[in-house]
Amino acid sequence: MKVDRRSFLGLGLGAVAGVTVSPMMLKLTDDSSILSQTTKLWPWALDHPPLDGESTYESSVCSLCPGACGISVRKIDNRPIKIEGLDDYPVNDGGACLHGIAGLQYLYDPARVKTPLKRNGDGFEEISWDDAIAIVSGKLGDIRKSGAPEKLACIIDKDQGSVSGLFKRLLETFGSPNFYTMPSLESNLELTAEALHGEGMTIGFDLANADLVLSFGAGLIEGWGSPVACFKANASRKERHAKLYQIEPRLSNTAANADKWIPVKPGTEADLALGICAVMLKNNLFKGSATSAFTGGFNKLAAQVQQDYSPVKTAEITGVKAADIEKLATKFAKAKMPLAVFGKGRGDGAQSLKEMAAVQLLNCMVGNLNKKGGTFVMPKAEYLEFPESSLDGIAQKGMLKEKTGKYVNQLFEKVNQTSKPVIEALFVYNANPCYNMHKPKTVKQAFEKIPFIVSFSSFLDETAMEADIILPSHTFLERFEDVATGAGLAKSVVGLTKPMLDPIFDTRHPGDSVISIAKALESGVAQNFEWETYEECLEGVTAGIWDSLSEDGFALLSEEAPSTAAMVNVSYLAAGPATVKAQGDYKLTLIPIDNMRLISAGYSASPFAIKTVADTVLKGKDILVEINPLTANGLKEGGYATLATPIGTARVRIHLNEGIMPGVIGMVEGLGHTFDNIFVSNKGVNVNDLIGPVIESGSGLDAAFGIKAKLS
Amino acid sequence: MDSALIPEGAKRCSFPKFYAGIALVGAVVLWGVFAWILIYWKGLNQTNMNDYYGFALWIWADLAIIAVGGGAFFTGLLKYIFKIDELKNIINFAVIIGFICYSSALLILAIDIGQPLRGWFIFWHANVHSMLTEVAFCLSAYFAVLTIEFIPNILENRQANKVPFFRHLAHNMHGVMAVFAAAGAFLSFFHQGSLGGVAGVMFGRPFAVREGLFIWPWTFFLFTWSAAAFGPCFTLLVTKITEVITGKKLVSDKTVHLLAKISGWMISTYIIAKIIDTIYWATVTVPSLGFELSHFYSNNSFYGYSILFIEIILCGVVPGAILIMKSTRENPTLRLVAIILGTIGVCLNRWVMVLQVMAVPVMSFDTWALYIPSWQEVATTILPIAYGIILIAVTYRYLPVFPQEHELNHANEADTVKKEVLTEDAIIKEAVAATE
Amino acid sequence: MKQENTKTHKFGMVIDLDKCTGCGSCMVSCMSENNVPFKDDESDKKKSITWMRVYKLTNGKSFPDTEMVYLPRPCQHCAGKGGHGHSPCVSVCPATATDYGYDTGIVSQIYTRCFGCRYCMGACPYHARYFNWWDPKWPEGMEKYLSPSVSPRMRGVVEKCSFCYHRYQAARDIAYSQGDKNEIPEENYQTACTTACPAGAIVFGDLNNPEHKVHKIVNPDPHPDTFNKHVVGKSRNPNVFRLLERLGTNPKVYYLSEREWVRKAGDNYREGEWDKIKNHYGATSTHG
Ligand SMILES: Nc1nc2c(c(=O)[nH]1)N[C@H]1C(S)=C(S)[C@@H](COP(=O)(O)OP(=O)(O)OC[C@H]3O[C@@H](n4cnc5c(=O)[nH]c(N)nc54)[C@H](O)[C@@H]3O)O[C@H]1N2
Ligand SMILES: Nc1nc2c(c(=O)[nH]1)N[C@H]1C(S)=C(S)[C@@H](COP(=O)(O)OP(=O)(O)OC[C@H]3O[C@@H](n4cnc5c(=O)[nH]c(N)nc54)[C@H](O)[C@@H]3O)O[C@H]1N2
Ligand code: SF4
Ligand code: SF4
Ligand code: SF4
Ligand code: SF4
Ligand code: SF4
Ligand SMILES: [Mo]
Repeated sequence: MKVDRRSFLGLGLGAVAGVTVSPMMLKLTDDSSILSQTTKLWPWALDHPPLDGESTYESSVCSLCPGACGISVRKIDNRPIKIEGLDDYPVNDGGACLHGIAGLQYLYDPARVKTPLKRNGDGFEEISWDDAIAIVSGKLGDIRKSGAPEKLACIIDKDQGSVSGLFKRLLETFGSPNFYTMPSLESNLELTAEALHGEGMTIGFDLANADLVLSFGAGLIEGWGSPVACFKANASRKERHAKLYQIEPRLSNTAANADKWIPVKPGTEADLALGICAVMLKNNLFKGSATSAFTGGFNKLAAQVQQDYSPVKTAEITGVKAADIEKLATKFAKAKMPLAVFGKGRGDGAQSLKEMAAVQLLNCMVGNLNKKGGTFVMPKAEYLEFPESSLDGIAQKGMLKEKTGKYVNQLFEKVNQTSKPVIEALFVYNANPCYNMHKPKTVKQAFEKIPFIVSFSSFLDETAMEADIILPSHTFLERFEDVATGAGLAKSVVGLTKPMLDPIFDTRHPGDSVISIAKALESGVAQNFEWETYEECLEGVTAGIWDSLSEDGFALLSEEAPSTAAMVNVSYLAAGPATVKAQGDYKLTLIPIDNMRLISAGYSASPFAIKTVADTVLKGKDILVEINPLTANGLKEGGYATLATPIGTARVRIHLNEGIMPGVIGMVEGLGHTFDNIFVSNKGVNVNDLIGPVIESGSGLDAAFGIKAKLS
Repeated sequence: MDSALIPEGAKRCSFPKFYAGIALVGAVVLWGVFAWILIYWKGLNQTNMNDYYGFALWIWADLAIIAVGGGAFFTGLLKYIFKIDELKNIINFAVIIGFICYSSALLILAIDIGQPLRGWFIFWHANVHSMLTEVAFCLSAYFAVLTIEFIPNILENRQANKVPFFRHLAHNMHGVMAVFAAAGAFLSFFHQGSLGGVAGVMFGRPFAVREGLFIWPWTFFLFTWSAAAFGPCFTLLVTKITEVITGKKLVSDKTVHLLAKISGWMISTYIIAKIIDTIYWATVTVPSLGFELSHFYSNNSFYGYSILFIEIILCGVVPGAILIMKSTRENPTLRLVAIILGTIGVCLNRWVMVLQVMAVPVMSFDTWALYIPSWQEVATTILPIAYGIILIAVTYRYLPVFPQEHELNHANEADTVKKEVLTEDAIIKEAVAATE
Repeated sequence: MKQENTKTHKFGMVIDLDKCTGCGSCMVSCMSENNVPFKDDESDKKKSITWMRVYKLTNGKSFPDTEMVYLPRPCQHCAGKGGHGHSPCVSVCPATATDYGYDTGIVSQIYTRCFGCRYCMGACPYHARYFNWWDPKWPEGMEKYLSPSVSPRMRGVVEKCSFCYHRYQAARDIAYSQGDKNEIPEENYQTACTTACPAGAIVFGDLNNPEHKVHKIVNPDPHPDTFNKHVVGKSRNPNVFRLLERLGTNPKVYYLSEREWVRKAGDNYREGEWDKIKNHYGATSTHG
């Protein structure tokens, strides 16, 4: 065939046309767009296209908070990519809170401690595990040799589970009674139970079956107790036609979701509870049968309460109208299954024993103790069987010494009071007192006076930054652990946290760290730690429920109301404890706000969680405080102001909120972290920096519900 | 130095003076280019746009320069299709202004998109339902037409014209220009309209949405109309500015009056339509969607009712009235006021249809959005203006843009006394006679 | 009478605002499910990518009569006027980078085709669309948690809630393997926000399938609303409403509340108008 100019042109054009309409062009188009996404030629190309692989689901238990929800982790080739709530788990049955769902962000948190660290001037240097354990055990050996083993103290999040048990055992066999837990709902429940029902008891609330819940500020959907379980119980109200009445100074999420919000002056919840109690007494609304079990001077209490807390007087104190108090009492007393709940906000942190006991008294008065839909007064769930410990002479002597302080805040007080060290060494695990306690400045002062501090933190948080040695722990996604859901639930569940992947850094299980420290000490201590690994210990101490734990992932210890009748001793209340007042004499009252999207105890909220925080709470680096427009006094929405309390001052911005009582300033808890994570730190103010502890006489608890403040 | 390039008989300023001026404006261009590079390199986070303000300064600038660039298609339409020969005295300049406007619009669009490398997807994966698709196709096609319309003028440069091929090409192109002008007018009609459609079809945005004809909301027709009406105002304004800067009269008053008169009638009819549209929208459309008119004008003084008054009355009714009445139209000061107001009016209309639309909350619990452009946005918006100034300066210096330039200025110099006694019309007649 | 067509799905959602606690689990579940990036400052909510955004509404009354409610807002997967698939955003996209799935009712977003003109964002009255103003970046190592089921987006493109389309794909794969490709059981396709919600406030399913909970709650009227011919699928449940229903966007996300002020806040009403139409629901259809 002769190819002339014309046919050549024709061919060329035909080819172009052909290619244009052929699928090839489509393919090329798509390829080029994909190329523009993946090629690292331009800055917007993706660095890391996620790799595909085999998809599996594994279940575990979240231990980021006391809720201990079951979780399901989606993995691609051993790479966890998503956390969701675990269906049919007895605590949460599907659904999880935002912190649990964002759990993977903790794994790769920029502030993680990647290897053991030793203080070096203002900073840290990396050391090996062997060296780190040797330094710690060396120091501990010196303390023992000095004959004052009680100078070793330990602060830990909770007195529950095998890891806590190992720390406690180390202190005991070492010879120190100075074992402290951070104030938590769990510890508050135990204290209240101790005050009213006897030692070793705790209280659970059967929220899922009560038909009228009278909540004294308990943030039932703000993270109180086992958060997801509470969310579920709350949501089921609609189907169950159960009511929730929320008593608190601010229209919290819980108050907004409730059937009725009853605003009350901050810090007067105990008075309102006693006022309701007085009405019930006056109108003979309490259940007769319940009264017979009352001991400790019930008549005295009854007389006193009716005298001090008549509706009119109570109205004056609390700001709730007298008629409303009477109605409320009637309504509560007449409900089929009324339930009063205490523990303001999340129920952790500062609480007043008077308030908790007064609210619990309401439960006693309506006779809901150990009934379905009521309060379960039960012994603390004990499922661990540690081998009998043997204390050598030093330990025995040490254990006879008195605890330096009853609660952790008193420990710091004592340390700060004396010039020579009352504590030589301090262990801190799963606790961040340098951020979480009221007036953390004094906590840091105390830390400075303690010569040797060991942190077991996974993150370089405010407290770890004060440590001399950091023995970094695996995160909950990298380890085994038994976690008990206590936290106010009616049922007791123990779940098994399992490693979802190999540890990504040179970290260790905190249980293993304790065991290796103990083994490096004198035989008097070491002989009590004969396990090779924490896992061996775990299997041993949970032997009674291990089969269930390992097969089902959890063990249900109890679910039904205890069959025994509960004893009620009102002597604490009959003694007429005073209501705690806010410190200072400014006109306004600053109260901390619990916000589900932030974390106030433990570590910090994740980048995802911080991202969900509203711009009426956090704007740039500024925290916004809530005030009623009536309190604004010229302050404008979004405007800057100086917030001053007797403890400190802070620059804040204003958010006008109709849903907060005039005269009250609300500031969210959980901001103002200072560690090295640009996504969550250096945002806003730590409300604890503005509030000082106020010790409740009688209980010794820090019961500062807020503080007097001024805005200018 | 460059005298060989300057049209024969034309007087131009000295070379150093000219290039000093160009360098000054060139610095502004460089500033704009720097901002442009920043935006391409770092992304649109260099702007102050956000998820509420997805369309902002640039889209406004785009719509506005296309609207004022409407002088080109409309003058072309009148000159080539309606055979209003008088307009040949301004058509070259109208085309150049149009060319600048449209090239600038394309430039801004290229800066505005998040993935510039994929800009061509608009053609490749075209969605026929989208007004923006229509805009993209017509805009590109019309830009090609404008380029074709511009070429003969370039070829008339003294040196280029010496090349026989160029001379013949220019001549032949002039001959077929009517075809392109017709195509241009048709394309223009659609893209001006589809730009109006961009706002009018957003039925999720009660501030913008309009009912209409077939697939076209009323804004489609209003945009075309307003571009035809106000575009000539802008052509006249730029001409006036050029005259002031060069210190020469470049277009005869007769031509100016004619164009001003046409513009005046277009503005007046447009503004009647616009008023009807506004009343219908305010009393039928808006209430049917559950809104009170005040909702759209209530948040802040920036977006208050005054904007409606300024756009429609002050910058619509007023210039329309000035330009349709002979006495006011032929008063140079009033005419200048009218063409300035008119240009502002159409730009303000585009401003409202882009920015106020984005600012107004639709969900009852949503908030107003406010936006202040970043310097990068401002720089890239000024960039085309600076480029336009340079292009006008260069074309004026080297191309025979204004056919009447020589005569008008010659006549001025020679017959100053005569001018005083003759009517302007007579001067023009004389000038026209001289050119023929 | 033929049953309503279950062959073409119409996936939708109903969110019980009386149950919603504003906890934010849905937001975070969505972010982690769909590889949504984050940056150091996310407090400018107009530049913060949250496919699921939880709004806070108040009744506007002063203390102590103030009430408040949270309103989670995913993409509404609008079906457009008359339900014909011309949702506000789809009809404007010049590059067909967002499309209406007539078989699912899902409004898709093709990131690699989007060239970032943002017209769709301007057209969406719900602000459900988000632009990637920045390059997505993850702290060192954190990219390991990215899911391969959802492609991460690059700078300069728009993204939005997809009703977790990859979960639909997975459910469809199962349906294929089991022979009936159109049979998607309720439990096989649930979005990440639905499964995360601790309050059980979100119900998701096929609005076309009378067996599905979402259909039972919403009970949509398939015929055009007698008051507004653009509106289809109006709920016959007096407590159910949609956002900006009057615009004719025809969302497939419904909301449920017993509180009147909340239902009223879902749309715009002129003075006195609400009282006239508050008791107007989808018609109990007698034909079709
Ligand atoms: N529609 C509607 N329903 C409501 C409300 C509403 O606002 N609207 N409000 C709700 C609220 S907040 C409340 S508190 C309830 C109130 O509802 P109820 O608790 O039913 O209160 P009352 O209707 O005041 O009636 C209480 C009863 O107690 C009796 N009583 C009075 N004194 C005594 C006493 O000393 N001993 C005994 N044994 N009985 C006594 C009264 O005679 C009366 O029969 O209604 C609730 N129901
Ligand atoms: N004359 C007379 N006076 C009485 C009584 C009586 O029977 N007669 N009863 C007394 C009693 S028992 C009571 S409890 C008080 C009640 O007194 P109030 O507290 O004034 O009760 P209401 O007027 O029923 O409701 C108050 C507000 O709560 C809002 N509201 C409704 N649901 C919610 C919700 O879920 N969240 C929030 N945040 N707000 C909600 C309502 O819209 C209303 O604005 O009145 C007392 N006063
Ligand atoms: S509630 Fe607590 S335990 Fe449950 S998922 Fe959230 S952080 Fe984890
Ligand atoms: S997860 Fe559920 S309860 Fe929480 S904000 Fe979302 S919809 Fe509301
Ligand atoms: S909500 Fe917005 S993005 Fe979603 S379909 Fe409707 S218009 Fe489109
Ligand atoms: S931004 Fe992307 S999806 Fe939106 S209209 Fe433009 S091309 Fe389409
Ligand atoms: S449906 Fe999926 S993509 Fe949409 S908001 Fe919910 S989780 Fe996000
Ligand atoms: Mo009440």
